[in-house]
Amino acid sequence: MTQIEIRDLRVEYKTPKSDEAFVAIDNISLDIEQGEFITIVGASGCGKSTLLLTIAGLVNVTSGSVTINNNTVNGPGRDRAVVFQDASLLPWRSVLGNVKFGLEMQRWKDDDIGERAKRFIKMVGLEKFTDYHPHQLSGGMRQRVNIARALAVDPDVLLMDEPFGALDAQTREVMGDELMNIWERDRKTALFVTHDIDEAIFLADRVIVMGRDPGRIKEVMKIDMERPRNAAMFESDEFAKYRRRLRDHLEEDMASMHLVTEVA
Amino acid sequence: MMLDFYRRNEAIILGTLSLASIGVVWQFVVDAGIVNPFFISTPSEVFAEASIQLESGKLYKNIAASMYSFVLALGLATIVGIFLGVLAGWFRDVESILEPFIWFKYSAPTIAFYPLFVAWLGYGTPTIVAIAFLFALTPIYANTLSGIKNVDRDLVRAARSFGARPLDVFLQVALPGSVPIIVAGLRLGVGRALTGVVVAELFGASAGLGYSIAYHAQLLETSKMMVSIVVIVLLGVVLTQLLTWLEKKTDSWRVH
Repeated sequence: MTQIEIRDLRVEYKTPKSDEAFVAIDNISLDIEQGEFITIVGASGCGKSTLLLTIAGLVNVTSGSVTINNNTVNGPGRDRAVVFQDASLLPWRSVLGNVKFGLEMQRWKDDDIGERAKRFIKMVGLEKFTDYHPHQLSGGMRQRVNIARALAVDPDVLLMDEPFGALDAQTREVMGDELMNIWERDRKTALFVTHDIDEAIFLADRVIVMGRDPGRIKEVMKIDMERPRNAAMFESDEFAKYRRRLRDHLEEDMASMHLVTEVA
Repeated sequence: MMLDFYRRNEAIILGTLSLASIGVVWQFVVDAGIVNPFFISTPSEVFAEASIQLESGKLYKNIAASMYSFVLALGLATIVGIFLGVLAGWFRDVESILEPFIWFKYSAPTIAFYPLFVAWLGYGTPTIVAIAFLFALTPIYANTLSGIKNVDRDLVRAARSFGARPLDVFLQVALPGSVPIIVAGLRLGVGRALTGVVVAELFGASAGLGYSIAYHAQLLETSKMMVSIVVIVLLGVVLTQLLTWLEKKTDSWRVH
């Protein structure tokens, strides 16, 4: 069943200096099935975060449309939750307070909030840190809180905007593994923006490769590797094939960027 | 053992020593005849005078009068400053409307308005409170404004993604995020309000520490004057420390 339908999507940003609007993404059409894990990669400036935030309802559509379960998106909604980079936790709230935050904003019944938040804190393995504040946690732990906060509101679609972008390579791999384990339980539809090629392949059913000027979809690459995925897959021939293909795309974009700067 | 104790409390020990040595030097330069006691009195005389004033109830009366004005002025400045600061931080138009007045307040010495207040409110407590209120208002307003205005955009976006309404964003993100900087504004306001009270009392009052300083200065009674000065300094230190403590408490979640 198709859960997210994106049709001829175009998003422009008004720039304060000139009258001309900057085209962040253009001509994007995509169908996403329920339960699919989609990763989005691309060179910086290709509009991958814009695409995600538009689906989240945090960025306005200029033309075209995004529909989720046949409802047109025109703002944030209870059917979606976003995992941002770690700076998005409220620093004055404890782990528990932060996981409760999303539930409070969505006006869940007070009696359920505490228990529910604790259950998801336990799910991400932070039950011993319930009363800690974000500045007392490592980057990886903060992202676990972020994931717990998003999952606690029981969204149909989980949107992740470079959630592991600020983590070191090792923590990143561990977090990717854990995210897979959590995701395997109920296989919610997930969109995950990253600039890490290996991460993109490892997590995805399909990888969306985006290009820039304007931000657009260059290729949709299906990843035919069985689930559950494991670290051994990084070494497989298949993985190497996907990796080479993605790298070619990104290098092409990098090359064209250099060309532009030279001409300019 | 001794050395360990010293290292752990180095700042306090050195601070106390430097303070004590000022007292000793103060007493010594007068006893040795280097400085005329008329100009600076001596610690022992000030202490003796303080005991007398304490016994007669005069000191208590002056402290009570000054503190009454201080609490009233700071309380008003806190309410008005936070109220206006929140409005101006949240609504750009309000900030633009208030801006010229804040510029006046920053550029012109508030005490210049003293005669005007006397004309409106007469000599005494109302004028003293008004001056001290104006002294304390600016830092409380300015800090509240900047706290609310500079709310973390990432946090606002995260809140909105969960469907937060503007009032939610204000109550759950902007306001709690501003508490430490507002308290820092209060700490500055405490010092300013105290200054305002004392300065205004110097010009015209019938009681209070500032009044006592002006009164005894005119009668050339240095020791009696010194008692009030020392008490004001102590009050200032204690009140500011109290706010510093509160600041640290509300600031604990910040990354240092």
